Amino acid sequence: MRNYIAVVFNDTGKAYDALHALWTLDDIGGVTVHGTAVVHRDQWGAFQVDTKETHPALATAIGVGVGALLGALAGPAGAAVGAAGGAGIGAATGGVVGVTTDLVRADNRDQAAYETRLVVRNGQSAVIADVSEDSTTAIDSRMRELGGVVYRRAKSAVQDDTWFDYPYDYPYDPYLYPYEYIPPAYAY
Amino acid sequence: MNLAVKDPKVKGALDHLRAATQELHAAISDAAAKRGGDIKADLATIPQKAKAAAESLKSSMGAQNEAAKKHLSEAVTHLEATNKHAAESLKTSGAAMHTAVKNALTEARAAAQKVSEAVAATRSAQSTAKK
Repeated sequence: MRNYIAVVFNDTGKAYDALHALWTLDDIGGVTVHGTAVVHRDQWGAFQVDTKETHPALATAIGVGVGALLGALAGPAGAAVGAAGGAGIGAATGGVVGVTTDLVRADNRDQAAYETRLVVRNGQSAVIADVSEDSTTAIDSRMRELGGVVYRRAKSAVQDDTWFDYPYDYPYDPYLYPYEYIPPAYAY
Repeated sequence: MNLAVKDPKVKGALDHLRAATQELHAAISDAAAKRGGDIKADLATIPQKAKAAAESLKSSMGAQNEAAKKHLSEAVTHLEATNKHAAESLKTSGAAMHTAVKNALTEARAAAQKVSEAVAATRSAQSTAKK
């Protein structure tokens, strides 16, 4: 089954351990990882996405795309908020860019039945991934060992929520790295 | 940069092709990170790499199942577009060059995605066959 997952950690280093673990699971064939990104939320609530140093236009696009995906992972209501608020997520290319946004809160009672309850609190980090998995056990077990909380939505459900047109199969794929990218600051 | 691509010596043909498309995306995104004249030197080999990857995909399709073949065929289309945009970036400058680089990066990402989906289709078929 094709899923988007978000795994939330209290520690950024653990998030990168998890990123490495996901690609290791891919390497041994337990799951297939199509793309990943790591998102941080600082103590003031601002989101940032770790990216390579790149052209500012590309960095902005990544921030918008990953922000929209986080919103989509939070459920149908989050998809609309995320698409609108995704620009609030900065793509961190060494420095910190971004403004406070609450786009991944799922605390509205009316929305609760539909939400995955994905919450990235201030100071937390999340690994976002697009995966194919026959069973959820491999990822859930490994992420639990690392202290992460896994949120998962079927890619088809995310697509159903997507209300804007886009020239690709899914609007979020271009914003996830198709291989294990770890910024130099976090490299082993 | 920490790019953990698979060792082609110990993996199957499809994994090798996946690594090639991942490396292509990494090379373009690294080039895109540069400012000024250096970018063209880094992009100079991209059209040839994209073309070589497309040829490898075409020649490997026969051995794959139908689902994987479909994904690989789409990957070839994206690699051909990568080649075209990368070549264009070498002939242009300024905003036109950046647009061409951005398009090449988008197409390389899509190619890597399609090969990855072919890998997933193959693994799923193998997993089903074992049951």
